[in-house]
Amino acid sequence: MSSEQDFKPLVVAFCCNWCSYAGADLAGTSRIQYPPNVRIIRVMCSGRVDPQFILRAFEKGADGVLVAGCHPGDCHYLKGNLYARRRVILLKRLLETIGIEPERLRLEWISASEGGKLAEVIHSFVKELEKLGPNPLKEVVK
Amino acid sequence: MSGVIDVVEVGECYVAKSANREWVEKSRHGAVITSLLRYALDSKTVDVALVVEAREGYRFDSVLSIVKESSEIKEPIGAFHCATPNIAKFIKNYLDGARDLKVAVVVKPCDARAIIELAKRNQINLENVLMIGVNCTGTFSPTAFEKILREEFGVDPSSVVYEDIEGDSLIIELENGEQRELNLRELEERGLGRRENCRRCDVKIPRMADLAVGKWGVENDKASLIEVCTSKGAKLLEEAVRANAIVIEKPSEEALRIRDEKVEEAVASARYWQEKALSELSRLSPKERLAHWFRYLDKCVKCFGCRDACPICYCVECYLEPTRGLVPPGEIPPSKLFPLVRLAHVADSCVNCGQCEDVCMADIPLSKLTFILNKQLQEVFHYVPGVSVEEMPPLTVVTDEELLVDLTTALFEKR
Ligand code: SF4
Ligand code: SF4
Ligand code: SF4
Repeated sequence: MSSEQDFKPLVVAFCCNWCSYAGADLAGTSRIQYPPNVRIIRVMCSGRVDPQFILRAFEKGADGVLVAGCHPGDCHYLKGNLYARRRVILLKRLLETIGIEPERLRLEWISASEGGKLAEVIHSFVKELEKLGPNPLKEVVK
Repeated sequence: MSGVIDVVEVGECYVAKSANREWVEKSRHGAVITSLLRYALDSKTVDVALVVEAREGYRFDSVLSIVKESSEIKEPIGAFHCATPNIAKFIKNYLDGARDLKVAVVVKPCDARAIIELAKRNQINLENVLMIGVNCTGTFSPTAFEKILREEFGVDPSSVVYEDIEGDSLIIELENGEQRELNLRELEERGLGRRENCRRCDVKIPRMADLAVGKWGVENDKASLIEVCTSKGAKLLEEAVRANAIVIEKPSEEALRIRDEKVEEAVASARYWQEKALSELSRLSPKERLAHWFRYLDKCVKCFGCRDACPICYCVECYLEPTRGLVPPGEIPPSKLFPLVRLAHVADSCVNCGQCEDVCMADIPLSKLTFILNKQLQEVFHYVPGVSVEEMPPLTVVTDEELLVDLTTALFEKR
């Protein structure tokens, strides 16, 4: 990373198996373009994403972390996504407290039919991260 | 005492003394707790009592002991300001969470709150725990207190027979009856004084215990003021009164007013320290914050002390163990995740007991970090840890209302 222009943010996206991962699949099969900066990790439910998964992603160099689950009411396990939402709220505060911009963590609801939304979310997230610059944690954990 | 009564009601306050006159004379505040414990044992209300004692007569070090017979409690126990045993964890780890054993225990507000948080997690059987709470304005680490005695008061610790906090004053009494006083706020601004979590603590009366006992309002009467918080507490007190172990009467309006004033004063002091912790941090930019915390976190040697001490950390298979694949074995210094994962796991339920910070060999201000996060979470979730056993930690419950809200932030977040 020689200059800010060259900065290509890395996004780790935890997508739930039933909605958001299927949404990502749809984006792929529909040939909707989205930035290649994202690494998608499939989890059975957004509720499976323990705080430490997110912290570990940041520690290992992610500039942003996306947690994507089904819309409220659509969760395959009924309320897993709602637990995820509460956890993300906690983590955003935690990140802010220790000095990592909370905007680096996003929670989005993306259904299996929303391939377009997935692409949009990643576009806008990457844009925002480009503005924020590299994850400051990289400096302190190296 | 005049106006002696023998009916006890939940929510009421009573002025109490032990019925043992000799003890009342020896005591400062009526030997109420000592008599309650003895009564609880004699009446078989409990199987054992957990008692904090001076270690070999030295009041600035203490041990927690399990007492089975009331005769083992030979004289008024008295108050200790340097005793911070990890009572909740003790009950969980060594008394099997009071599963099959009825326990009476004297608790500070943070101990009571920790016990309640563990009860919510099915780690302590609250039915079997009788909590006799004591009002608390803070405790000292034994070494810090000895330093204050030697260097600030200029006395030999072994010559001190009593210490107390009155508003902003730290008072000690020497063997020869002489009293000395220092300004506690001034000491604390210089980094001496109470444990840092205690400075920030705004729970002065342990209403989550069964009984809350304190001296405020009746300081000079060789008596205590008891607030009855639960029916279990009411039952114990009423029976103790009827069995002639304790004598109670209605408090005067004046006593109650003084008590409220003292609480207010102590809470105002706590707010000062809370505000200080929060504003110190809010002045820093994100970059500076990261540098600030990592200067400390970098020193972590992965001793697991904080995890073992924290009452909220009760997991049988902790995520920080090498078997869980997150923190590799044998790696020192550990991943920066070590303290942060714990922070994420406990911050919503932190009872500000300071046990984590007490044991941290790297002197990381762990309770301050957790406090700052917990304070923000309280604003979002309106969950105050360790108050009601019915109320579950906010990360373990969701409401039906949340099913209907689609916006990520609408429900809780301001921004
Ligand atoms: S994090 Fe520290 S202060 Fe909070 S409950 Fe655990 S041990 Fe107590
Ligand atoms: S650090 Fe987390 S996983 Fe480990 S005991 Fe504490 S709460 Fe449980
Ligand atoms: S007690 Fe301190 S040094 Fe030990 S593991 Fe916890 S943070 Fe690290």
